[in-house]
Amino acid sequence: MAAVAAVYDKIKEEGADVLAISTDTKFVHEAFVKNEPLMKNVKFILASDPTGKVCREYQAYMEDAGLAMRALYIINPEGNIVYLESSIPPVGKSTAEIMRKFLALKYVTEHPDEACPANWEPGKKTLKPGPKLVGNVGNYIDEKELLEITYRDFRMG
Amino acid sequence: MLLIGQKAPDFELEAYDPVKDDFTTVKLSDYKGKFLFLIFYPADFTFV
Repeated sequence: MAAVAAVYDKIKEEGADVLAISTDTKFVHEAFVKNEPLMKNVKFILASDPTGKVCREYQAYMEDAGLAMRALYIINPEGNIVYLESSIPPVGKSTAEIMRKFLALKYVTEHPDEACPANWEPGKKTLKPGPKLVGNVGNYIDEKELLEITYRDFRMG
Repeated sequence: MLLIGQKAPDFELEAYDPVKDDFTTVKLSDYKGKFLFLIFYPADFTFV
């Protein structure tokens, strides 16, 4: 949560928002925000799903544990699911990974005739799928740029 | 089964809003018109 809070200004600046859900009650959410020092910068709403109904609907519920899974859904402005990931609990998210994914989803939504290739991040070349590109991607895009992986720090905007 | 591209199921839940320092209710439809990171996590006071 603290890691997401650190990029929340950037998320808001991009016109998006964050909503976090666990099976805790709203009272525990309040106590968590007020007692855990790492939570002091959390400015988004923490929702409470103690029966697990919503978690189950999103297939983000661990029946044995009675807890939500660690999962992320990115929902587009029309209310459709455009990205999902989930993992076992002990692995936290990477804000570099989810911000890159979100910015690519936003980019292709705003530029419907373009695609963001592997390892794309803002500033890198996009592709315009069409007859000229078939069998020709390697001549259009620099291989070194395509293969380069940079874990950008999105806290800085 | 939820799949990519499908409509995200709406919901209404009780919530805590840290900015207002108050309890509230939140609906998925409150966020219509913008991209939303909907984050599920196991529990408060866990360590990741």
